[in-house]
Amino acid sequence: MILQQVFDGLTLGIVYALIAVGYSLVFGVLRLVNFAHGATYAFGAHIAMVVVVSTNFGLFWAIIISVIMTGLMTMFMDRIALRPLRAKKSKGISALITTIGCSYIIQNALMIVFGSRSKWFPKIFDYGNFQIGNVLVKSTQVGIITVSVVLLLLLTFIVQKTKIGLAMRAVQQNAKAASLMGIDVNRVISFTFFLGGASAAVAGSLISGYYQIVNPQMGFIAGLKAFSAAVLGGIGILHGAVFGGLVVGLAESFAAFYIGGGYRDAVAFIILIVVLIFRPNGLFGKKVIEKV
Amino acid sequence: MKHNNAKKNLLDTKPKKIAALVVMVALVLYLPKSGLLSPYLVRILTMISLYSMLSLSLNLLTGFTGLVSIGHAGFCAVGGYTSALMWQYLGLPWLVTAICGMIMAGVVGLMLAAPTSRLSGSYLTIATLGFGEIVKMIALNWQSFTGGPLGVNHIERPEFFGITLTTFNGGFFYLSIILTALVTLFVYRIVNSKMGRAFMAIRDDSLAATMMGVDVTAYKMKSFVISAAIAGLGGAFYVHFVRFLDPNTFNFDISIIIISIVILGGTGSIPGSFLGAALLISFPEILRFASEYRFIIYGLILVLMMRFKPEGILGGHSHRPFRLMKGVESYGN
Amino acid sequence: MKKRIVLVALLSLLICGFAFANGSSETQKPVKIAVVGPLTGDFAEYGMGFKNAAVLRAKQINEAGGVLGGRQIEIVDFDDKNSGEEAASIAERIAGNKDIVGVVGHFASGVSMAAAPTYEEVGVPEISPSASHPDYSGMGKYIFRNNSLIDVEANETLNIASKVFKAKRVAVLAVKTDWGVTTADILINTLAKDHPELEIVGYEEILDGLTDFSSTITKLRSYKPDTIIVCAMYNILGPFANQYKDIDSKINLIGFSNAYSEQLIKLAQEDGNGIALPAIFFHESPEAKVRSFVDNYKKDYNGKIPSSLTAQAYDSLGMFAQAIEEAGSADRKAIKEQLYKIEYDGVAGVTYFDEIGDAYKTFNWLMIEDGKFTLIDKSKL
Repeated sequence: MILQQVFDGLTLGIVYALIAVGYSLVFGVLRLVNFAHGATYAFGAHIAMVVVVSTNFGLFWAIIISVIMTGLMTMFMDRIALRPLRAKKSKGISALITTIGCSYIIQNALMIVFGSRSKWFPKIFDYGNFQIGNVLVKSTQVGIITVSVVLLLLLTFIVQKTKIGLAMRAVQQNAKAASLMGIDVNRVISFTFFLGGASAAVAGSLISGYYQIVNPQMGFIAGLKAFSAAVLGGIGILHGAVFGGLVVGLAESFAAFYIGGGYRDAVAFIILIVVLIFRPNGLFGKKVIEKV
Repeated sequence: MKHNNAKKNLLDTKPKKIAALVVMVALVLYLPKSGLLSPYLVRILTMISLYSMLSLSLNLLTGFTGLVSIGHAGFCAVGGYTSALMWQYLGLPWLVTAICGMIMAGVVGLMLAAPTSRLSGSYLTIATLGFGEIVKMIALNWQSFTGGPLGVNHIERPEFFGITLTTFNGGFFYLSIILTALVTLFVYRIVNSKMGRAFMAIRDDSLAATMMGVDVTAYKMKSFVISAAIAGLGGAFYVHFVRFLDPNTFNFDISIIIISIVILGGTGSIPGSFLGAALLISFPEILRFASEYRFIIYGLILVLMMRFKPEGILGGHSHRPFRLMKGVESYGN
Repeated sequence: MKKRIVLVALLSLLICGFAFANGSSETQKPVKIAVVGPLTGDFAEYGMGFKNAAVLRAKQINEAGGVLGGRQIEIVDFDDKNSGEEAASIAERIAGNKDIVGVVGHFASGVSMAAAPTYEEVGVPEISPSASHPDYSGMGKYIFRNNSLIDVEANETLNIASKVFKAKRVAVLAVKTDWGVTTADILINTLAKDHPELEIVGYEEILDGLTDFSSTITKLRSYKPDTIIVCAMYNILGPFANQYKDIDSKINLIGFSNAYSEQLIKLAQEDGNGIALPAIFFHESPEAKVRSFVDNYKKDYNGKIPSSLTAQAYDSLGMFAQAIEEAGSADRKAIKEQLYKIEYDGVAGVTYFDEIGDAYKTFNWLMIEDGKFTLIDKSKL
């Protein structure tokens, strides 16, 4: 029983990790909590859904299309709403409020375009179930974990080993200095938003394929939980986000099982508040002086 | 100095101001009884008045102290539940339950502010969001006490001197006007006091404020508690007005509406809160075709205001507390 | 100065807006009946069903010459978003509009109960085609329901469990909404005693809008049930069936009539097969009046099949028309008085109201087979 909860919790957690990484990437570079990230995740799931239902490209290509479109959408959001604020040197809180506004726009646009009711999504990696000891393992879960791990490694590789990743880290350290060294800061930020959006789109498609359902409100709670995960691990730190995601997924799974289904959402928020109170920089975070 | 301050308020001279006040009071008292307004319009005006009160509460925190809360509906919920449950279990009259609702919301505000006061900016904002959701979860899961998803039904209407307030006799309208007037006066007094100047100093530069001897943490907490208590009063009014309360009554959408009002009307502007509430509460009613898009419009307001006029329509006149004595010109003007 | 001008300009604009919004014309001949339900959101399926059914019924009545010697029936629709707050506001709007003589709606019990005090106070007859909370109709003289009480329906689910599935071990899953927990409570604590042939082995709750059921399923499976009664609507029953049958395809699932919707089949796909539920109305019933209703409905709403609650909304409007005709007046109070006297023969069976405004109905048992709702033949069990 416990092992089953651990396994189910890990599946959930790795997807939270994938969403949480998006928060961390953007926060790392901009010191901004991208509140629209949850809505972006719902956006990605809907694009994949509409492509797979209305064309015969199949689920794989649907997700690829969704990744590209979602990435472009987040870049566009940055371009028209956030970049002007940076140019004006607005207060940090203005950018946060802007992303809250964007989140509302995206979520409600999804409701108007796709209707607000829940819709069916095809099952992903459907090759049956098998039993390992007491644990029932679904092929879907194995597929989700594999894809998520590969993507997380890929993201880490991009940030740590590529030229653009180096630029991202430079902007993170000091945007002004990076710009003086010839780095196009706006391009780096656009790229970061693209990565965040793309990972959210993958997470959205995977989760929808797991539960076989999408709805426009799915991003709000999922986004908040992933944000809790990012904060727990230390926002801005990739491996912290992964760790946080797994903890939140496990905690939620155990809460639903041992306390009752009504409490599952509360757990993530309690983790969030507790971390913010006792260790606002997260488990892996270094002390940063934030002046907003 | 005092005389000077009073002079430069909304209207220029005292007689004018008093006359305007009398006309407004007469108009307000006359409107619901005049037959010009249907109960539906009286209801909308009541809602505008209620949301003015809620946005004044948030304005104190966000506009004057610079702390952004997107969990303000959580404080309304605390006030609303306290009031509704005290009525349900103890049968106390509205005025008593509403005051307790205010106190309770203030206490919860203190409980949230004390540990989070060292957080700043985005962290604090997200903490308030988490707080709002936790309040909702407690209301949903503590079924034996709060009624859980069943909520509290048939909540009694407030009664004063043997008259039960309804929308139809205009009672709720008058009550909301009185409450909003009191809150406005209260917020106005705070803003123009030493405390208000401390709030604004924290908003503008908390480091400088500390240097000037302002106890930043203590004032942040005061701002939080006062703001929460006002929101709790709004919640206590609202649940007796709608007569129905469940965990979804005060959800995230309500928090978003409140912050949109503050940002549209003007951060740090008291008339701005009224203007914002009037605009945002009435527009889905006037533009029926747009009501489907109302939350997109709230979102757009947030984005566009931040982009083009972050201080809001009536905001941004923060010179008042720094106005110097007569005869001394400040160089800004 | 500039700011004050802006302020004044905006406020006067607002006042003009109100004057405009309020300025409807006075001399209406038609009898107006409001239809209120969630036209947007997760329950839009039901609200749109209410609206479509009412519009269809009104069209038929009008084509047949209207009521009271030629007055047309006009449907005014409102979207309460299934929220108590919206509902309370809409109720006051309806109450304030003297032309509206009756209300068909609201959808959820809790929402109906938020609106009912206003209808009762002003005296607007309200017939909810769906509210099933025991306390609802007792809220006033003007408050009616054209749906059976929840305990009657819950008892039918237990009958299905024992007669159709020969269940021995039954688990109950409830959505954490007013309707879900009330239903589960009645089911487990009141009705189960009368069914000694089966045992309630476990009870779990889930949050509305949730899509991950894995922990709940593990928990439910630990009770080793052979049948699960799901006190939730299609938006939960559908994905729950998907996820549960993925692990244990032999489980029997029983829903309620508010899960009776084409959306259930769309969400559950092939895992929907075998789900059984009680419903007052069945769209493939051979009865002539049902056939003509379903055919007309499909014709008007591009092939959509009406559900049980849609049929009850259709009948609710018919009841208003009949009450107006029999009372000889479109006065709110007269309509209310007449509603207590009528016996209405509708597509969802013969209905009459008792002294508190509850309707009495008999149930069909339905099961999804090959992606379609089919009638279970009770005589063969």
